[in-house]
Amino acid sequence: MTIGIALRVAATFVAASAFMAVAAWAQAPATTAGQSLFADDAPVAPEQHWIWEFFSYAASEFLWSGAWTAVKITALAMTIGLVLGLGLALMRLSNLFAVRALAWFYIWIVRGTPQLLQLVFIYDALPYIGLKFDSFTTAVIGFSLNQAAFSAEIIRGGILSVNKAQSTAATALGMGPVLTLRRIVLPQAMRAILPGVGNDTISMLKLTSIASIIFVNELTFKAQQIVGQNFKFFTVFAAAGLIYLILTSAISIAQGWAEARFDLERERRPRGETLRRMFGFRLNEKPSEATPPASAAIPGTAEPAAPGDDVFRSLATSAGGTAQRGEPFVVCRNIQKSYGGRVVLNGIDMTVARGEVVVLLGPSGSGKSTFLRAINHLEPVDWGEITVDGAHVGYERGPGGGLRPTGRLAKARADARIGMVFQHFNLFNHLSALENVIEAPVRVFGMKPDAARELGLRLLAEVGLARHADHLPHRLSGGQQQRVAIARALAISPKLMLFDEPTSALDPELVGEVLQVMRKLADAGMTMIVVTHEIRFAREVADRVVFMDEGVVVEQGPPSDVIDNPSQERTKRFLRVVERSETAS
Amino acid sequence: MASIKMSMAIAAASLGALVAVTGAARAQAACEPAKVAEKYPSLAGKTIKVGADPQTPPYVMRDKANFDKVVGVDADLARAVFDCAGLKTEFVLGGWSGLLPAVMAGQIDVMWDNLYYKPARAKTVDFVLYMKAGTGALVPAGNPKKVSAIEDFCGKTVAFGLGSVEEQATKKQDEACKAGGKDPVTMMPFQDLAAGMRQLESGRSDILLWDLGFADATVKDAPEKYARAFAIISGFTMGAATAKGNADLIEAIDDGLKVLQAKGEQAAIFKKYGVDPSLEVAAEVKRD
Repeated sequence: MTIGIALRVAATFVAASAFMAVAAWAQAPATTAGQSLFADDAPVAPEQHWIWEFFSYAASEFLWSGAWTAVKITALAMTIGLVLGLGLALMRLSNLFAVRALAWFYIWIVRGTPQLLQLVFIYDALPYIGLKFDSFTTAVIGFSLNQAAFSAEIIRGGILSVNKAQSTAATALGMGPVLTLRRIVLPQAMRAILPGVGNDTISMLKLTSIASIIFVNELTFKAQQIVGQNFKFFTVFAAAGLIYLILTSAISIAQGWAEARFDLERERRPRGETLRRMFGFRLNEKPSEATPPASAAIPGTAEPAAPGDDVFRSLATSAGGTAQRGEPFVVCRNIQKSYGGRVVLNGIDMTVARGEVVVLLGPSGSGKSTFLRAINHLEPVDWGEITVDGAHVGYERGPGGGLRPTGRLAKARADARIGMVFQHFNLFNHLSALENVIEAPVRVFGMKPDAARELGLRLLAEVGLARHADHLPHRLSGGQQQRVAIARALAISPKLMLFDEPTSALDPELVGEVLQVMRKLADAGMTMIVVTHEIRFAREVADRVVFMDEGVVVEQGPPSDVIDNPSQERTKRFLRVVERSETAS
Repeated sequence: MASIKMSMAIAAASLGALVAVTGAARAQAACEPAKVAEKYPSLAGKTIKVGADPQTPPYVMRDKANFDKVVGVDADLARAVFDCAGLKTEFVLGGWSGLLPAVMAGQIDVMWDNLYYKPARAKTVDFVLYMKAGTGALVPAGNPKKVSAIEDFCGKTVAFGLGSVEEQATKKQDEACKAGGKDPVTMMPFQDLAAGMRQLESGRSDILLWDLGFADATVKDAPEKYARAFAIISGFTMGAATAKGNADLIEAIDDGLKVLQAKGEQAAIFKKYGVDPSLEVAAEVKRD
């Protein structure tokens, strides 16, 4: 209580200085109004200046207790409303029509009817069916239900603002939908969500005044009661306004702080750094700044000292599985898939042996990427079957012998341990390079954070990025981002690596560093399927080249056959075009 | 001998009966807070929730000296009545328009705040009447626009409560003005009384039409600022309202009011807040 009073007084006087300017401006008209208004009280306190009366109201326990009521309702209702709103937002994004429709209906009703009437309904109509809530509870329920409808749309907007590629990358790492939402999507959606939530919080705090209809005595109603008694509206309402201003300022500050926390563009400063910059010192100063390791590798120069230290090799050889080197590892039979009426994959048969590097070539739209995504079940297939290391990924045999998708797709993907690298890197934008790498090992595979960090740093060193471990993706070049993405895919100890045009989005001078890492990985014995247009890479690294067009395999064989001596006219035509563009660039 | 004994017995019995009757009569006319369980069994130990809007002076308002206290004609009456019955009271404060629905829903036990008895209302709640209602026309001191009757409203600006009987009266007069070829009334309905007072204060309205009790109390408080142009006894009566089926509660209110009226305490409360004591009416239960 003492703290409460001290806080009130302090808050009032902090705001008082700001208010002085306004007060000076308002003085002339207000004094006239004040004199005529306070004539009632003239015998009691003739010497009291209106400004003191204003301050006594602004510090009055009566008004602040009303403000406290408004704050309590707002805090509770906002919290509950956001939780319910998240649920509604997810329902709105559901694939099931009934679920979507239900959420839509709720939002339609609640947003479309006056909140005042909702409160009266809850307070005065529900008792007839035996649900009797007191005023405060009614206000919390009413405002929560209302906020749920509004924040559902804000949160949905936030989720939609996050690039779909982010959740695709998380899915490829074996992260389930809930984990993806919590760790990847929501943190990035916060930037879009927070301004709206801040707005709503401020308007809710002020809107609690309508709850006077259900006997909630909050700030505005209490101020009106004083005015209803003594008609001194100027000082009382100005004081109430000042109290609101103090409270809403606190909300704005909290919003600013939260936004800064989720702001990716903002530099991440070590704790205390801001203070140091402002005042030249920092609290909790540590003797040594975090310095990059002395052995920081420079791109392209990070050569493992000894074979025993070769992370790539140990990853490529330690990954469990029954297939021995050279035995069939990925087996695809008659893969068919269409989008709408358009056939994308028209019966693909392919086998990849353990330790083999297969490059998929083919013009755009030939179905290469779709085929790649079918292997780790990012895309379901319409027909055919794929086994990786003898097991289906996310399919099981139905009673009739046919394949059907399993319920726990995320777990199936995680168990399959297939790493994937995307054309546009798809790094998690809100996480540093190291955090990107260790996210799945820690969250999906239950690795101890310390061990994961160690592995992550080794992998980053291996791809030449030890110095960039703490940088956010947007601070890295495209080539560096793609190398982080490779490290991230390797961190789950993959048995198979899929590369989906890993260099297509890169500036030409950055292509080399990525290809070098891939070459090293191939040399280490990793099983790899690579979709690319890099003919030189295919020629030098691939064990086998597969040329696809219009959803079928046109021809395949060692690079010396397919690239240097193609048998099919379509292959020749494609290679001519690609080589022409390569020489041109 | 036997007959004497008999007559003695009869006399004693009739004396006893007489004492009992007068005793009962005295019980009607006195406060017996200790007998609450006996007189109003369903209310024993209960705290009565009295619903009111503390923006309705002089009926219910915050105490000038201590904002945590609720005072006014109706607040004081309610407290006195339930004290008399031996019941605790708790004021549940909210916007006026939310009071009646809350009584019906059982969220509060009684609405006691400037409520007019109307047959339509009596279909859903029971009333105990205690006061005549009237309308007072409040004008600035000295009555600069020379208003002395409702007929003088033509061409003037009049403020009144939204949905009030004053609104109906003003609209009726407006029709009459137009029918008589005079200037129409400019109408300024308001949501809360304080807003209406600001209308009058700033000169945006010439006349404030509101409850007579309030008008009189205001003039008594600040005769240098306000005057009562005229009053209309509208024929409405005010009462405390409870949900249907609260026989004990209605009886407790009725009994209490009768005691207060007999002792002149109701009149004293009226005077305290500048309300004309002649507005008092004998307590009466109205169930329809």
